Amino acid sequence: MTDATPAVILNGVTKRFGEDVVAVNDVDLEIQDGEFFSLLGPSGCGKTTTLRMIAGLEFPTEGSVSIFGEEMGLRPPNKRPVNTVFQSYALFPHMNVADNVGFGLRMQKVDDSKVRRRVGEAIDLVRLAGMEKRSSKELSGGEQQRVALARALVNRPKVLLLDEPLGALDLKLRQTMQLELKDIQHEIGITFVYVTHDQGEALTMSDRIAVMKDGQLAQVGSPEDVYESPENLFVAGFVGEMCLLPAVVADPGSVTLNGGEVIRARTSSPRGEPVILTIRPEKLHISPTASKAPPNRNALKGSILRRTFYGESMVYEVHIGMSDSIEVRVENVPGMRRWDVGDQVIIDFHPEAAMALTE
Amino acid sequence: MTLLDEKRDSQEEAVSPKLERRARQKESWRGFFHAAPAYVYLTFFFVLPLLVIFVFSFGSRSNTGKPLLENWNLDSWTRLADPLVRTIAVRSLTMAIANTVLCLFIAYPLAYWIATRARPRTRTLLLVAVLIPFWSNFLVRTYAWRMLLDSDGYITQFGALTGLWGRMLFTQPAVFIGLVYGYLPFMVLPLYAALERMDWSLVEAGRDLYASGSKAFRKITLPLSKPGIIAGSILVFIPSLGAYVTPDILGGAKTNLLGNLIVTQFQAARNWPFGSALSGAILIVMLVTTLIYFRTGGRTI
Repeated sequence: MTDATPAVILNGVTKRFGEDVVAVNDVDLEIQDGEFFSLLGPSGCGKTTTLRMIAGLEFPTEGSVSIFGEEMGLRPPNKRPVNTVFQSYALFPHMNVADNVGFGLRMQKVDDSKVRRRVGEAIDLVRLAGMEKRSSKELSGGEQQRVALARALVNRPKVLLLDEPLGALDLKLRQTMQLELKDIQHEIGITFVYVTHDQGEALTMSDRIAVMKDGQLAQVGSPEDVYESPENLFVAGFVGEMCLLPAVVADPGSVTLNGGEVIRARTSSPRGEPVILTIRPEKLHISPTASKAPPNRNALKGSILRRTFYGESMVYEVHIGMSDSIEVRVENVPGMRRWDVGDQVIIDFHPEAAMALTE
Repeated sequence: MTLLDEKRDSQEEAVSPKLERRARQKESWRGFFHAAPAYVYLTFFFVLPLLVIFVFSFGSRSNTGKPLLENWNLDSWTRLADPLVRTIAVRSLTMAIANTVLCLFIAYPLAYWIATRARPRTRTLLLVAVLIPFWSNFLVRTYAWRMLLDSDGYITQFGALTGLWGRMLFTQPAVFIGLVYGYLPFMVLPLYAALERMDWSLVEAGRDLYASGSKAFRKITLPLSKPGIIAGSILVFIPSLGAYVTPDILGGAKTNLLGNLIVTQFQAARNWPFGSALSGAILIVMLVTTLIYFRTGGRTI
């Protein structure tokens, strides 16, 4: 699959609504064949509009959309080799499950016996066998979601577009469906373009993620890239938990915090430049003041401000001089040491864990 | 504390079905009281007059045309089979059906267009425009049509100029024009209501599933607006079957419809029993057709 033409190419795509609303602003994107690709961002960032332009439900104001090398232009949705799972599922209320699933095939004038067979297969795939005659109004949220998925997949689209398909489900069901979606994608091997505002969902499911902000791409990369090496403060703050500390670049590879402590960190800014130091709470380690931090790690003195129990972990807010504080996540394992509010501690972390970003 | 809670819980469990039933009964009584004025009104001014008509239809009339509640007979009902009555009934029915169909064909695109305007303000304004004719009296508006359709009216003059039609007033087309004009808003409003609450993402889903624009309309929009089509058709069909003012003013003496026939019986002919039988028969026919319509059209209204 390495030499194949990309499944979707967006070339300088801009979408304006009216005079001054720019929903999508000059987006360039290549989505590879067979990839599970997520568009991640807060509401209003343009991710759904981007998806709708691939589907043909909106047309770009500028730029072009190509699907498997074919320029789409103003081609209507019914003439594109893609199908969509809508956020609200959009099941036809006047049809039963089987008719909903078979709709696309009937519109393509596939003959009846073939429609019946493929509808049966699709319903089996999403594990809804026996529900064919149910009215779409009598289904639970999870079942509706499966019907919507089967209705799209039955057409064997080259690209499946999913617009926050799990948004309306409760947490447990969402987690189950995440795994199922991933399995289905693996099984049929087609490209999924997945819109979500849930960064956890994007991290666990995707091969690659495009983080969007204000209609533009903030970063495109693998989940690890986006999590470990955010390219800007927006991505750092939006994906996962992140502690932010104002600092100034001291030398190449080290910064000075507000309190004067010099910390070794990943930085590419010139000396004297104000930066924000970003550190993931789970990459910090707490130890008593008496202990000595290993020489290759950064160490900061502090006192415990607040303790919050999350079940799988404990999060401490630690005051580290001046007005700065930092969060430390400690995994809940047997023998975990509990700190109390007011305890004096030392926080240590690897220089690689701290990354300086500019505004 | 927990013991007390438990005790209360078990007590509540035992009591709750009875309590619940009593609460529900109370609720339904309250509903009845709220509706009572409507019940009283409908009984006195709707059900009773209908019963009076029904009773009179079996009565007889004196030589001077006074309705008499004696010599009970079925003459008025058998007279319904009269060829003249049949001709008028068929004409009325044809007119009412044609009116309903034409209203539907004119109103649907209009309602669709209004319902798909993006700004709510625009939709409201357009809807008000549909309702503006109701601000003036129906009789006045029908007389206005009389002026338009008369020999020196614009419509007749235009017809004469192009040679397409002659004088319109007092012809069947004139009555037809008047009926369509009068009942169009009754078709537009329910259609608009149905289309306005349509979930347009369903149409998008249809387009995404390889339906062309017209296919998506036929397979999705049209079936989902069916409640509006049924409601509008009933609202137009029923009053136009018994229409009186329009045929009377625009049809002259030539185009008699059922409504005019009934009025004639109660006034000029002074034959109350026959007029009552006619009214009763129309009522029964309408009731039956409406029931069939609802049954076949589904209960979603």
